[in-house]
Amino acid sequence: MQMSSAAIELAGVTKTFGSLTAVDRLDLTIPRGALYGFIGPNGAGKTTAIRMIMSILLPDSGELRVLGNRSALEAKDRIGYLPEERGLYRKMKVAAYLTFIARLKGVPERGLRERVHSAIERIGLKGVEAKRCEELSKGMSQKIQILAAIIHEPDLLILDEPFSGLDPVSTRLLKDLILAEHRRGATVLFSTHVMPQAEELCDHVVMIHRGRKMLDDPVSTILRPHDSRALSFEPLDAHVDVGAVRALPEVERCVAVEGRYEVALRDGVNAAAAMRSVLAVVPAARIELKRPTLEDVFVAIVAGAPAAGDKAVAA
Amino acid sequence: MNKVWQIAGREFVATVFTKGFLIGLLIVPAVGLLLALVMPRLFAGRTLTVEGEIAVVDPTGVVMPHVRSVISARRSPLAVTEIVERARAGGADEMVLTALGATTQLTLIERPPTADLEQEKAWLVEPMPAARHLALIVVHANAVEPSPGTSNLGSYDVYVPSKQDNRVEVSVQGVMREAIISARVDARDLNREELSIVMTVPRVRSTTVGADGERDTVFGLNIIIPVAFMGLLIMGVMFAGQGMLTTTVEEKSNRVIEVLLSAVSPMQLMGGKLVGHMGISLLAMSLYLCFGLVALASFSLFGLLDVKLILYLLIFYLIAFFTIGSLMMAVGSAVNDMREAQQLMMPLMLTMILPWMLWWPIVQNPSSPLAVVISFVPPVNSFGMLLRVASSNPPPAWQVWLSIGAGVAGAFAALWVAAKVFRVGVLMFGKPPNLKTLVTWLRTA
Repeated sequence: MQMSSAAIELAGVTKTFGSLTAVDRLDLTIPRGALYGFIGPNGAGKTTAIRMIMSILLPDSGELRVLGNRSALEAKDRIGYLPEERGLYRKMKVAAYLTFIARLKGVPERGLRERVHSAIERIGLKGVEAKRCEELSKGMSQKIQILAAIIHEPDLLILDEPFSGLDPVSTRLLKDLILAEHRRGATVLFSTHVMPQAEELCDHVVMIHRGRKMLDDPVSTILRPHDSRALSFEPLDAHVDVGAVRALPEVERCVAVEGRYEVALRDGVNAAAAMRSVLAVVPAARIELKRPTLEDVFVAIVAGAPAAGDKAVAA
Repeated sequence: MNKVWQIAGREFVATVFTKGFLIGLLIVPAVGLLLALVMPRLFAGRTLTVEGEIAVVDPTGVVMPHVRSVISARRSPLAVTEIVERARAGGADEMVLTALGATTQLTLIERPPTADLEQEKAWLVEPMPAARHLALIVVHANAVEPSPGTSNLGSYDVYVPSKQDNRVEVSVQGVMREAIISARVDARDLNREELSIVMTVPRVRSTTVGADGERDTVFGLNIIIPVAFMGLLIMGVMFAGQGMLTTTVEEKSNRVIEVLLSAVSPMQLMGGKLVGHMGISLLAMSLYLCFGLVALASFSLFGLLDVKLILYLLIFYLIAFFTIGSLMMAVGSAVNDMREAQQLMMPLMLTMILPWMLWWPIVQNPSSPLAVVISFVPPVNSFGMLLRVASSNPPPAWQVWLSIGAGVAGAFAALWVAAKVFRVGVLMFGKPPNLKTLVTWLRTA
């Protein structure tokens, strides 16, 4: 395998548990400084792949490099990791816990105390330093766990389902933290089920299903092949009769969805021409091409069906 | 290595600076002290009152008055004290002394010399008698004077009812012994008081002569010291093993283990835990050892302790710790909670219980085949050999070093197994492993 200076490189990595192949010949290259989303349904093999990247599990076969090293063990101090199943030492005080993790990650003693206190302040939890971890609310605990993953300013940040269980405020905070780490220069890889978040945050998405890689492209590229032949149309008069639209020869179907209409076009129809035809029969407050979301693509791949955008309104 | 120390330091601080550690530290000597104070009283039991009737058939015709006299005298506390003192000087065991010292309220039922034995026996099993029927005594015809043509003297036969305290019989036999001796003394016209003086040789206390001087011999120290050292060893291993087991289970159950494994390797984590808990148990053992040494010094008995034993304690502790402690940690890594751990812990607990079951025969006879075999078989060899080297008859040096060698080999094997199980087990959740699964882990890890 030709190894470059990528942050993560996997070549033909396979991991089996008994008769189950959790990860099957996975090839993956994540360049330094990238922000990658790792998506896939439950049991797809995301966590196993991440654990192999972290050298918590060893692959049965294949090659793997992390930050230029043959094993993450050689670069653990440069990696931040938030596992899917995470916890804290219940009896330990918050500042002591973060200090302990920072020391394990090789943060020098000089300035460590200030670093811990400013990090706590940064996530809006000033004053909890002397509290025992068991005294924290669930949301506060999650923030501390995230902080523990970035306290040492890693070059590579790996987050396994970081948004699970977070309320909207904490989700926003975590997004900001991820973006801040990315801006700082860290390579970020996070797995998620929440497609809008992946779509919003990532510039590149890798999807695995049943241990195999199904997608590995920039978000824009993923969505391009699924250019829509559907329109999203919001009439100027909410109570207007859209029978004229349904009667247009270009239109296959017109369905009301949450105060607007999704218009499916027939095969071979030019979308721009169809848009003009619709505007000619019903004045519109807004009309646009309906593009598929990452979620549509995700569902389509998992279901083994064509990308949802092709038949967005047919569903 | 720095990460191992970080883990070790956290384990040490998280355990030592807690109320639980202090309580655990104090509870062992507290329980020991309590047992030392309470157990003798519990074993001594309440003072026995021997109250009831004894029937005596005396074909000699000369023993009966003495029986009557002894029973009467036994009601006097002064006489009882004298009997006990005499018996003690003669080396009587504790049960006999207790029985002789029992308060006696005996009533003598004198039966004719020609009484029918079977009828008299029926008296013993009479239902609901007014006074308890304690014994039927049939004095031998030659109990006082030998039969013609012989020089041997007879004694007596005793018949007792079922379900009777043995101390009653001892007390009754004490009465008969005194009575027959008195009858024999009178028959020979001897002076009883003078005979007693002649027959009494008080037991003396020996003086132990050592290279560092002389001191009164302390009986039991050759048993106390080996047991104390073995107790320290077991306590140290249990302290550390239990700590490693519970912290590993806790880290697994609160899911902090994966966070740790993102910063350290499984072997660093295991190494840190081993070092941390070794420090904790060494601290506890040192404190107990210091208390023991201060106690010995305060009784001017410090010189009785061979200081080399402390070195042996350390060596055998390290062997037992790495053998049993590492396996306990492996158990902690393989299970999800303490309830599941109990099942896998059984074989390890047996290695702790076995020395307690075998300490007495080993200390009594440190060169017996049992003691020798035990001292070479890991993981119990550390306990067995420590008992032997601390005993009054220590084994030859080659046996000690062979035992150490066997122990070190056992410790390496245990660490190898523990490392394999730990590496896989810490990330396994759900159904606890059975033996087949553990073997698979050993082969694949």
